Amino acid sequence: MPTRDPRPKAPPADYKTIAAQYARAKRLKEIEAAGRKSEVPSPDKAQDDAAKKQRAAFESRRKSAYEKRFSWTVGFWVWMLFIHIIGIYLFTSGFLLARLVLEEQSECSNPPIEPLAQWNGQGSVDAGCWHPKSFKKAVVVLIDALRYDFTVPVEDSSQAEVYHNAFPFLYETSLKSPTNAVLLPFIADPPTATLQRLKGLTTGTLPTFIDLGSSFGGEAIEEDNILKQLKGLGKRIVHLGDDTWTALFPGYFEPNISRAYDSFNVWDLHTVDNGVLEHIFPLMQPERTGEWDLLIGHFLGVDHAGHRYGPSHPAMASKLQQMDKFVRDLVQTIDDDTLLVVMGDHGMDGKGDHGGESDDEVEAALWMYSKKPIFGRTKPEYRIPPATAKIRPVNQIDLVPTLSLLLGIPIPYNNLGQPIEEAFAGQKGDGWSNLAAVSRIASAGIRRYQASYFAARGIEQSSLPGSPADFWERANVAAQKATKTQEGTYTAYTQYQEETLRICKDLWARFNVTRMVLGITVMALGVIVLLIYVSRDEDDDLAVLDPELDFAEKSLEMQMSTSTESPGSDQGLSKNLVKAGALGAVVGTGLGGGYVLLSASQDWPLAAAGTALGSLVGAAISLFGYGKSIANLIPRTFWGWLSIIFTLSQSIGFASNSYTIWEDSISLFFLSSFGVAAAIAALRRPTIMDRSLGVYHSVLFVVLGRIASFSKLCREEQMPYCASTYYSSANSSTSAPWQLAIPFAVFLILPTIIKAYLTSSRSYEGLAPAWIGYVLRGGLLLAAIYWTLDAASNGEWITSVPAETLKTIQVSVAQLVLALAFVAGTTAFIWAPPCVSILTTASKSGGKPQLIVIGHGNTNGARYLLLVVNFAAALILLSKPMGTGAIGLMVWQILSLVEIIDLNAITTETIGPVVLALLGNFHYFKTGHQAALSSIQWDSAFIPLFTIRYPWSPLVVMLNHFAGQILACVAVPLIVIWKTDPKRKAVLESTTRALGIFVAYYAVESLATMAWAGHLRRHLMLYRVFSPRFMLASAALLIVDLIGIAVTLTGVRTNTLAISEIFGWAD
Amino acid sequence: MSAPGDKAGPSQISKSVENEAASKPVSILSSSQAQVARHVHPVLLVAFFLVRFNALVLDPVATMWNSLPVVLAMQVAYAIVCLPPAGAQAAKAPKKPRPGEKKKPAAEGSGSNIAVTTTAALFLSTFSACALHLIFVLFGAPLLTHLPNTFLCSLHLSLLGLFPLFYTHGVTKNSWLEILGARAPFDETFGGLVGGCLGAWLGAVPIPLDWDREWQKWPITILCGVYAGYVVGKAVGGTLAFGRRFG
Repeated sequence: MPTRDPRPKAPPADYKTIAAQYARAKRLKEIEAAGRKSEVPSPDKAQDDAAKKQRAAFESRRKSAYEKRFSWTVGFWVWMLFIHIIGIYLFTSGFLLARLVLEEQSECSNPPIEPLAQWNGQGSVDAGCWHPKSFKKAVVVLIDALRYDFTVPVEDSSQAEVYHNAFPFLYETSLKSPTNAVLLPFIADPPTATLQRLKGLTTGTLPTFIDLGSSFGGEAIEEDNILKQLKGLGKRIVHLGDDTWTALFPGYFEPNISRAYDSFNVWDLHTVDNGVLEHIFPLMQPERTGEWDLLIGHFLGVDHAGHRYGPSHPAMASKLQQMDKFVRDLVQTIDDDTLLVVMGDHGMDGKGDHGGESDDEVEAALWMYSKKPIFGRTKPEYRIPPATAKIRPVNQIDLVPTLSLLLGIPIPYNNLGQPIEEAFAGQKGDGWSNLAAVSRIASAGIRRYQASYFAARGIEQSSLPGSPADFWERANVAAQKATKTQEGTYTAYTQYQEETLRICKDLWARFNVTRMVLGITVMALGVIVLLIYVSRDEDDDLAVLDPELDFAEKSLEMQMSTSTESPGSDQGLSKNLVKAGALGAVVGTGLGGGYVLLSASQDWPLAAAGTALGSLVGAAISLFGYGKSIANLIPRTFWGWLSIIFTLSQSIGFASNSYTIWEDSISLFFLSSFGVAAAIAALRRPTIMDRSLGVYHSVLFVVLGRIASFSKLCREEQMPYCASTYYSSANSSTSAPWQLAIPFAVFLILPTIIKAYLTSSRSYEGLAPAWIGYVLRGGLLLAAIYWTLDAASNGEWITSVPAETLKTIQVSVAQLVLALAFVAGTTAFIWAPPCVSILTTASKSGGKPQLIVIGHGNTNGARYLLLVVNFAAALILLSKPMGTGAIGLMVWQILSLVEIIDLNAITTETIGPVVLALLGNFHYFKTGHQAALSSIQWDSAFIPLFTIRYPWSPLVVMLNHFAGQILACVAVPLIVIWKTDPKRKAVLESTTRALGIFVAYYAVESLATMAWAGHLRRHLMLYRVFSPRFMLASAALLIVDLIGIAVTLTGVRTNTLAISEIFGWAD
Repeated sequence: MSAPGDKAGPSQISKSVENEAASKPVSILSSSQAQVARHVHPVLLVAFFLVRFNALVLDPVATMWNSLPVVLAMQVAYAIVCLPPAGAQAAKAPKKPRPGEKKKPAAEGSGSNIAVTTTAALFLSTFSACALHLIFVLFGAPLLTHLPNTFLCSLHLSLLGLFPLFYTHGVTKNSWLEILGARAPFDETFGGLVGGCLGAWLGAVPIPLDWDREWQKWPITILCGVYAGYVVGKAVGGTLAFGRRFG
């Protein structure tokens, strides 16, 4: 039936016409056949009608059986998703750091230790609670993402980056008048997200990782902190700028004069800053200084300029210049009793992003200024401000005791920082007794906090030599013995503080090993069950096509009027699995919940573990009941071994930070290895046609991958062996003008490529010409236009059009593309006829009518490709110009991959889905991402939107971030249904198998990164390398699970429905 | 590997390659020198590589370049002493259909046959090094920098792995279809190629490690893999796996 007739063009046919044509042609043929057989051309009407009815009943029976199978398959995948969620949740809850939050508050009249110094009014707010106060008021200016090197001038202009020399004021003042100003590197404790930083900067304690996720929501700080102390002592606080503060400190700020601004519009460089500038100076007027005691101004422009453009952009320079001018102006308005603090909460990496713990991200700047001379340096060489952030850095938490003691309020209870030396050393730098006093009171606070913390957790504190207790004793001895100079006392207390801080950092890396092990166990069992589920037995191959057998089965089934149950064993498999899983879950929940209740441990995650484990055991028992066993997992072919080698060697590699860091190059290496193996295999094909095509597609696959590999975004650890090409420069997050050629090239080339692949199977029929030739092309052109406009607005090429208008056009264009891809695309995919064209021609000999279906041989694959194309279009829009090229290449690679798979007849092997999964990961890196939090392209949220809108903004960022994996997941069915005709049986079962292997790859990666992160939890690189990779793997796994259910399986169902409607049900 | 023919539909006349391409493994010449040389050759190669290793780490390009004549001499001597030149086996075979080989006409006298075959094989090996260079690049070797490093490395691989094959098989289409399709029977020559390639593949493993060792420079680890793989592959191919085939 697959025709070889080279008729080039059939009239574009819509769904109904094709069905009608096919039905008519088929009838004609049947009559013809009947005529030939019985010699009686008897169109017996009654008989004909009965046959028709019988056929209709048969079709509807098969359809309802299909729907049942489909529901159970989806049921299985939903179950798998839950297993993965529980596994990841269990591990995460034990792995991400948790710290007990204490309720205690410091009190003014109750210092942790008797102060060394004596002063009038001791213990009162007016004179100073724990130490004589130095300032009545403070102005704290927070310049978000003010990296230390932004503030250090570079004299040699050839060495200077764009951002240098734009903000020299801090350095100059600190150099010229060291008693009035001091500039220091200000080291943040990761995670370097603003919310976590504000917690650290106000409470003086270490932030934990768990809070990171809440950076979008924000939540009030319960712990003792500077603002709480001030508020409790009746001071007034005014806040201007970033609204994260109001989320953390609700009701703290003076209502009428405080101004909060939306902080997440990364696109917007000026609204927040202009708001602060507008409102801060009136408050500095002498007649209004009485309205506040602490004035907080939080600027976001520098941070947003970093996110949007990267540090090496003129926008950053002008932003820094604006800050420079602002600080100069502000200094003029400061009075003698006011302390001015200008600081960054974190730095930014080479692209202007932050969140992780690389040096550039944690190195912020701190500048303190006072009109009256107060600051000192204990050594003459300290008079010059540090040239780099590696010299004399202070911790960000050190600001808390410093500010508290300078303002005369108690140090917050949970503080772990020490007073900053420069602020208490006296003008001459010899104020050792003052330094000893402040470090003693701060250390005593720390000691008190530690005692309550250990008591609350019920842990004994160590008093061995070298322990903090030992240091404390020695410091006390030093304080008593101190003769003339208290330098030794100061040093001793400082040592105590440093040691305690070190211990706390370790301590709060307190992992719940039980939960971690449970999480790993759940994931491992999940992987095993999934692999056994997808494993094939020798006689399991449902895809075997035997036309005669098929015909016999069909006629048998048609003759039986009683409904037959379930063709194919897999329906039963999914069904029983889900049932057994549910039963096991009930038992497991009962056991786990019962244990938690009885032991009254409140450890509810244990109950979840019980559910998952019980469910897995149930499913495993049911699988073994089907005769499947662990032995199924041992590969039997070269391709099986290759899949194992790829997956396992990568998983083992995640134990090494080097292999994790260089994952992008390693993925290319594996993909090329597959390509070479495929070329070798192709040379074994019997026909010269297959050999040449096989080698051609294999070479193409490898070459395309190598071309894609030129798109690079290097992570910091790859330096200096890596050069980023994703953006215009390493210090930028905008594209170079020449990169705009890429989306246009994609627009010109990609539809033609797709057409060529469809034409080779004569499947460029039905909706395909219109959809790929016009709609896809149009969408790609719009995407290219979008990125051109984006470059124009970033580079300010068009000055005649206001920026707002430009942005409006951009957003409309982007929304149009997404509407085309998702709304119109889905509708078209549901209603599209198969990509075939049906002709009835009279054959030359005998004049019998012949039924010709053009594109029959690829009916399943060609139509499904439309869905892949829709996703590709959307993802291309949401990726930056370099990424559009990567995705275009990926689509091409997917097409050549499915050709390779088909030509080598390895459709049923595991290698296809595994290579597709590798390809997805590879293009994750090629679309400008790395396994580091800072590589999330937050600004992509603003491609189709003006402001943050839930749930769309996170969705868009997710599509941008996981574009590679998502596209690969959508393309999974192509591996099994490419170049198959409508008679292909068990499409659903083959797809779910392929999807199973695909998901198993990600599940193994997730399991491996989880196990390694757990095992290496004390490793130096944990938060820099292993933990981000674990988070990436887990997120990717959940996403492919979701996409697999919502898009892949659903898409296959839609596809099968549409094809079976016309060609009849294959099974 | 999956059995060819899974997919061969009824319409395709299976002109199964297996039947016509039953090429035999190449045996080492039976002369006593050959039997000695086949064992001395890998020892010399490894010894030479080890002697030159420090120089290789210091200056990979110069060392690889300077070593070429020696390696070349060893390979040529090995081929001449141990291996039958192209056409020699074919002459023994009952009937040989025209293989379309250009260098064939010169294969009259056995002396000139060896000289011509050697020259042709050397020429072909050099030429194949370009192809290997491209494959290295496709696997991720730098495209624009380190050109001499990559090319010399491919040249070494080509001299070790491909030269003996060119010497024994010439450019017979079916032999090469078998070799490239990994269907050829194992012998010292094919085993050496497989070993060299696998060695090169595994040689990439230590490159990403952050040990900051000099020997992690491109392409030293690959070259180590090539030499080790070649020697092992040659030994295994000539003994244990002799005559066996993949898949």
